[in-house]
Amino acid sequence: MRTTPRTRAVSDTALFLGPAIVLLAIFFVAPILVNIVVAFTDMSQTLDFKDFPTTKQFNKLGKLDDEALLGIELRRSFYKALMLTLVFVVLTLGIFNLTFALILGLTTTALPDRMGAFFRAVWLLPRMSPSVVYALLWLWVVDSTERGLFNQILMAVGFEPMNLRLDHPMAVIVVANGLIGASLGMIIFTSAIRSIPEHLFHAARADGAGPFSIIRHVILPALRWPISYITIYQALALLVSFEYIFLIMGPARSTMTMAMLSYTKTLAPQIGGGQYAYGAAIAMILIVIGILVALAMWRLTNMKALLQRPRIEVR
Amino acid sequence: MKPSLLLAGAAVALSGLAAPSFADDVTIKLWSRADRSGPLRAGNIVAAAEQLNNAFEAAGADKRVVVELIETNNKGFDADALALLKAHSVGDTPDIAVVAHEWIGSFVEAGLAANLEGHIADNATMYADMIPELWNSVMYKGERFGVPQDSEVRMFFLNNDILRATGKSEEFIAQLPAQVEAGEFTMFDFCDLAAEAVNAGAAKIGWVHRPNVGPDFQMAMASFGIDIYNEDEAKLQITKQGLTDYYGWLKYCVDNGSLPADMTTYSWDSTHAAFRGGDALGKFHGIWNVGKQLEAFGLEGKDDYFHKLTWIHAPAGKAGGQPKNLSHPIAYIVGETENKDLAALLVAMASQHVPNTAHAVTTNHTPINYGQTAMPEFQEKGWALIAGTPMLKYAEFMPNHAKIGQYNAITYTGVQAVETGEMSPEEAAEMVIEELEIELGDDVIILD
Repeated sequence: MRTTPRTRAVSDTALFLGPAIVLLAIFFVAPILVNIVVAFTDMSQTLDFKDFPTTKQFNKLGKLDDEALLGIELRRSFYKALMLTLVFVVLTLGIFNLTFALILGLTTTALPDRMGAFFRAVWLLPRMSPSVVYALLWLWVVDSTERGLFNQILMAVGFEPMNLRLDHPMAVIVVANGLIGASLGMIIFTSAIRSIPEHLFHAARADGAGPFSIIRHVILPALRWPISYITIYQALALLVSFEYIFLIMGPARSTMTMAMLSYTKTLAPQIGGGQYAYGAAIAMILIVIGILVALAMWRLTNMKALLQRPRIEVR
Repeated sequence: MKPSLLLAGAAVALSGLAAPSFADDVTIKLWSRADRSGPLRAGNIVAAAEQLNNAFEAAGADKRVVVELIETNNKGFDADALALLKAHSVGDTPDIAVVAHEWIGSFVEAGLAANLEGHIADNATMYADMIPELWNSVMYKGERFGVPQDSEVRMFFLNNDILRATGKSEEFIAQLPAQVEAGEFTMFDFCDLAAEAVNAGAAKIGWVHRPNVGPDFQMAMASFGIDIYNEDEAKLQITKQGLTDYYGWLKYCVDNGSLPADMTTYSWDSTHAAFRGGDALGKFHGIWNVGKQLEAFGLEGKDDYFHKLTWIHAPAGKAGGQPKNLSHPIAYIVGETENKDLAALLVAMASQHVPNTAHAVTTNHTPINYGQTAMPEFQEKGWALIAGTPMLKYAEFMPNHAKIGQYNAITYTGVQAVETGEMSPEEAAEMVIEELEIELGDDVIILD
């Protein structure tokens, strides 16, 4: 039997896209749907529920108030979680995942190849070590007694020991997350810098450009898309990230971001877990925020142009 | 030998190792947290089944009871209770479970725990010597849904050597428990004493409390007049004034340097190390710590122990008030399953004097039956428990309310907020009351 081009196109599509679609459906779409359903129930402790649909869980996060902005007055702990999330995401992304990653990408490509590769490998180490081990190292670094590494350094140069987890909790989680997060940007930026044609650098130097002019006029324009991509991807990842926060800070109020709040209300041991519907409601708001952030950044960075169909077709 | 023969041989050998199977095996599923602090909680049930099987064999019956142990790795009894509720909701209800008593309300509401009133009445002689107060801990809406497995008393431990180094006389130390009992030595005096020890250089830390949500805080709240349960309405309750006083006391302790401001971010290890390492004057926790304390301080026997350490109740919040302490029994519950009568009988057998004493003296828990204290083994190894038993007259229990876990978690956020300096006691009390109202709704009564 001869296959028509049409059936062949359909079977090709099924063959190539099928596995990805199934994977997306099971691991990405289904959990979101389950989460949305659970958010509108009263599920807690046992997995059954009596009330559906109900907005009970959302009433715990805010109440209607005509005088408030947008007509909703947010509950204090939820408002605080929103603000802490914002600070955490903006600082980690701005300082480490973008700026520091860019510095790493620029410096390690400027070095001789082998040495550059060595430093990149070093920066990948935290990503390779298990979260718990990484968090334990941090706990030792920021230990408030004289045993802590940070305090040992402070004392060696004549300062008083500090209690970072108590006095600067946000700084601790930003740095701990950032030092891991920077490596992803570093790799993407490195490969983008490598793909810039060598002759452009030679031409720039021949025209008398110094290192900063080369970065400004040759490298940065070539990094536009990678920077956009890292910004969107890492912003979304940081919004829902909580494992290092939980491992290093525990359920402390000072670092109770949205993702942490959702976790402590549901699955975290010993801090009032078991309120599955409540946690799902918080997670649902995170999903909505994630979608809004992604769409806004898509628009701002003009990602559409990046993902356009290539001008030449390969078949 | 050929590989297939080897495999066959291994299969034969393995099948020989498995327990012989009888036509009439009854499997009892026993849910228990893998807990080094009490392996005999499950072990006594297994032993009871063996004893029952001996009886069957002697009677010539072919029925045998097989205990299938479901040992979980949950961190703490709260996480374990949630896991048990989840297992129940997907149909994996165990026949017996070892639980923290305050979850019984949740278990009854979920249809997991069986009502044991009938069983207790039918086997009255097996339970006749049970310390009556302990039954309160397994009561829900006036009926018993569990059997106390052990009991304990929680208190403040003080390091006498630190008191001596602070310049306190032996007479002062000896009179402290009586002063606390009379309501003359208050919670604030306790913080002052701890601060004095720190200022004198006798202690690095004044005192420590548990670093996470848990029962111990209830006794401090009770000292400030917070009665957290309304039995008539079966609801939780709180007073804003009591909460403000309680948080005010914590702030006082942090401000005078006796309580670390980051206490709520300590690990359990560093909390234990602070007291057992001789850095902290005081700690509030349970009597089962005695074993570890003997080991850590290198003490032998009763006299040595009480020379080094003093026990006091949680002092009264105000002079003239009543001191408080807390008992947090672990209980057996019987699942609402087809084997519940047999399961309940195994629980009754495991709750007899000899098996319970084996658990109590090895893990430093107070007894569940009066007669146990007269047993030679108890007299010899259980001196600390005999010394602790009179303290039980001031004991409070946690209420068996389905939302007590949430209630404790929310009041604990106030502890975090005050100790770290994020909020004043008044702000924290207001925040906690708001959260309680929002999250617990009708289950909590705000008294003022």
